[in-house]
Amino acid sequence: MKKSFLITVVLALFFVSVGLVSAQEMTDVGTPRNETLIFQTFDRQTQTPDQHNPLMNFAVWRGFRELGWGFLWETDTGTGESYPELAAEMPIPLNDEFTSFEVRLKEGVYWSDGEEFNADDVIFTLDAYFDLVGTSTWFGVNRITQYVSDYEKIDDYTVRIDTINPAYDFSTVLGVYTWGSAFIIVPEHVFSEVENLAEFRNTYPVTIGPYVVKEFDPNGFWQLWELREDWERSAWGFLDDDGYMPQYILYKDFGPEETRSLSFVQNAYDVDTFMSPDSIKAAQARNEYITTFSPDMPYHNMDDACGYGVLMNMQRAPLDMLEVRWALALSLDLANVGINSVNGEFVASPLPMVDTQILRPIYFEPLIPWLEEFTLPDGYQPYNANWSVEFVDALGQMGAQDLPEDPTDFGIGWWKYDPEEAANLLSSVGFTQNAEGIWLLPSGEVWDLEFVIPGDWNKVMQRVGFSIADSWRRSGINVNTVQVDNAEFGVVQNTNAERTTMLNWTNCIFNPNYLNSWNNVELEYVNNADETATNDGNQYQWANETVDQLVHESKQMETTTEEFYEIGRQIIQEFVTDMAYINIMNIPTTIPTNEYYWSGFPKRDDYYAVPYSWWSSAKEIIASIEPTGR
Amino acid sequence: MGLIQYISSRVGAYLIVLFVGITITFFLPRLMPSDPIEGYIAQMQNQAGQSMNPETIRELRASLRKLYGLEGTLIEQYVDYLERIILRFDFGPSLASYPRPVSEFIFNSLPWTLGLLGTSLVISWVIGNLIGLVAGFYHNSRWATFLETLGVILYPIPYYILALVLILLFAYIWPIFPLSTTIMPGDFSWEKINSIIYNSFLPALTLVLAGFGWNILGMKALSFANKEEGYVTFARLKGTPSRTIMFGYVFRNSILPQITALALSIGGIFNGALLTEILFSYPGLGLLMRTAIGSGDFNLLYGTIIMSIVSVATAALIIDLIYPLLDPRIRYR
Repeated sequence: MKKSFLITVVLALFFVSVGLVSAQEMTDVGTPRNETLIFQTFDRQTQTPDQHNPLMNFAVWRGFRELGWGFLWETDTGTGESYPELAAEMPIPLNDEFTSFEVRLKEGVYWSDGEEFNADDVIFTLDAYFDLVGTSTWFGVNRITQYVSDYEKIDDYTVRIDTINPAYDFSTVLGVYTWGSAFIIVPEHVFSEVENLAEFRNTYPVTIGPYVVKEFDPNGFWQLWELREDWERSAWGFLDDDGYMPQYILYKDFGPEETRSLSFVQNAYDVDTFMSPDSIKAAQARNEYITTFSPDMPYHNMDDACGYGVLMNMQRAPLDMLEVRWALALSLDLANVGINSVNGEFVASPLPMVDTQILRPIYFEPLIPWLEEFTLPDGYQPYNANWSVEFVDALGQMGAQDLPEDPTDFGIGWWKYDPEEAANLLSSVGFTQNAEGIWLLPSGEVWDLEFVIPGDWNKVMQRVGFSIADSWRRSGINVNTVQVDNAEFGVVQNTNAERTTMLNWTNCIFNPNYLNSWNNVELEYVNNADETATNDGNQYQWANETVDQLVHESKQMETTTEEFYEIGRQIIQEFVTDMAYINIMNIPTTIPTNEYYWSGFPKRDDYYAVPYSWWSSAKEIIASIEPTGR
Repeated sequence: MGLIQYISSRVGAYLIVLFVGITITFFLPRLMPSDPIEGYIAQMQNQAGQSMNPETIRELRASLRKLYGLEGTLIEQYVDYLERIILRFDFGPSLASYPRPVSEFIFNSLPWTLGLLGTSLVISWVIGNLIGLVAGFYHNSRWATFLETLGVILYPIPYYILALVLILLFAYIWPIFPLSTTIMPGDFSWEKINSIIYNSFLPALTLVLAGFGWNILGMKALSFANKEEGYVTFARLKGTPSRTIMFGYVFRNSILPQITALALSIGGIFNGALLTEILFSYPGLGLLMRTAIGSGDFNLLYGTIIMSIVSVATAALIIDLIYPLLDPRIRYR
């Protein structure tokens, strides 16, 4: 009796404990945690969580592009090359001018309501774009209607599209360049029933991607997606090769960094967005499953398309003088700026584009000999080829660990930090210094340099900006640093009257087609120094006839040819010679992952995609990760 | 001054305050160098999604300016704005989320703000004043000293620090409450109410603790002063029970300034609780206002600020009108 009682108790305890252990952990939104991939939202909160109509400005950062939609051509973020997604193959040029293309569509791709995707969807969307000019707030409508001149359906799976100008970038304008497309195809069978497309919210959309919206927070803090049963016949189901995709994907805001890092330690989510290096280290110390992109410094991926740099109003004195712009570059102590603002985790770039694994072999490495020989008009050689080695030494002396074997992981080099030469350059154009060492203009007045930086809506840039200002101040430049809001930042960027210098990240080039950023660096878009009307183009407001000619020429070229690249290198040389833009560093994208529930995120030694959850790379990540079974 | 004159002078002042407030609200954001259209264009340019050629930028800029009603002179826009606000109480469409009306955003956020701030304000006011009363009335007792010390300690702690400490204690070390707010959508049910209370408890607790220190100190000072008044001494000599003196004499006379402060604080609720909303990812008017400023969304900004002006002014008007009922010493003549 006693023995059987004891066995019963032991068995009961065993089953209770097994039950406790195997009790499935649930997310805050009621899904099994080990079946839910959770991303921190890119924009924290959205005011329009129910707006999923891509013909209007929509809730961009909630997985819409990555999970719900598909595009004609996508970008492989590991290589920068385009590949067909909804299209069956790359566009077929129909004439030598590259102004007419045949687009063949895949057969057997289905919308989430079971309708097959076909040419009617493409034609309807193009019709809608042209109808909505003047009433849509989505920039894609203007982009496409200023790009496409004519189109027609050839058959159910083929369309012809003509463009206004030669379109060598056809697959990245009607497809994806980095994170999104201007051309988002909508389901004809749904949208054709809507009376007013400008007011249609499309709250629970019929999608063509492998996920559908399951639930969302009306206050815009989270959105839950669920895998379609027929996901394999969706736009990008073909990316998956093991038959497994996460059942749920949740985008959720976990609060400011202080609380977010606590949630991360508690395994409440899997992928963060722009957590500061300090918080990442603190979180790693408390949770062994929190990992970074690389085990060595820089710990994070640095292959973002955009970089931070100083944009100047080159039409306004004294920044219209070459010597003054170079003086600013040579007064900038980049090592110090990088250590102070981003813990030394960055890649320096002396050229006006980001130094990434895609662009380095094409534009950086061929120009190293030229950079080493390059001289300013006074004979000075400003390039420091040894910058990365010196930087690694400096980090080592400060006690930094996990330093890379190859110093060029921090960049190929940068400009010398040489306040003495900067002083020579300023003196050569009539600048003088007062008793306190402050630089005076040739007129004798103090040189007050306004430097606009983002406020706390972009904390990394804010820190970088303050560090740059500090560096200039140490060289005797009287810098007035002005922090502005997002909306004012845009005004300063695009209005000469408002801009003197600003820290900016508008210089974005991901694949070798530099025209993505430089297509309008032309003379006709240069305005007067104090023009109050906004600029339509030429963000640098740089009047360089050679570059104007080169940009014109390159628009008539196939963008993947050596000839095209060579013109790009010539434009870069002009940028450097004129110091038209003080490029500083690639955006340090600090994206830690928590691998308690999922493994297989992109890492330096398994670099199949950039690790960003808000780019096309999310598709590759979702198709590649594996549950850990925890 | 008769009753009607008293009321009409107060209502007149109220209307003037509203008009001036509404006018300043229109012109002030326009003096800022923000522009919702340039903000949007820069966002598209800077995020590398797609290149924007000059023709695209030009056309987009023109069509957005027209859609947003930003064409015409400033005076024309002002007249249109007054007409919309005064005649129809219509704030127009949000510029950043066009064509959605601003009123939709405000009415989505308002219940959350009212629920959280209203509840925590009243709790903090009631508890703070009761503690202050006891601390002031029995100022020599050890308990009174302790309660006063509590107020002195809590009052100066910056809200952000206080909130973080509570988060660390009750959401991380002892994870009783969630670190961020998650409330499932759907119709009202007991389950949903439970979820709202569970998610709102920690934000509310931080607001109560941050607010009641000031109420303790204010009430303590007032009740301490009042208990030394002649009528209290007389009541005591007459043998009136201590509790009656405390509530019937000291409390009634001490509470009047606190009621004014409460009324104005209720008006202030409409500003939202930005830090709370940021820290706890809690929906509300504070975040809405912050978004409006950041994106240069003039209409949304007008909507949220005018709501706040109307609320504070109305609260002040109501206090003006009912004060004679609360304080017999005040009479219109």
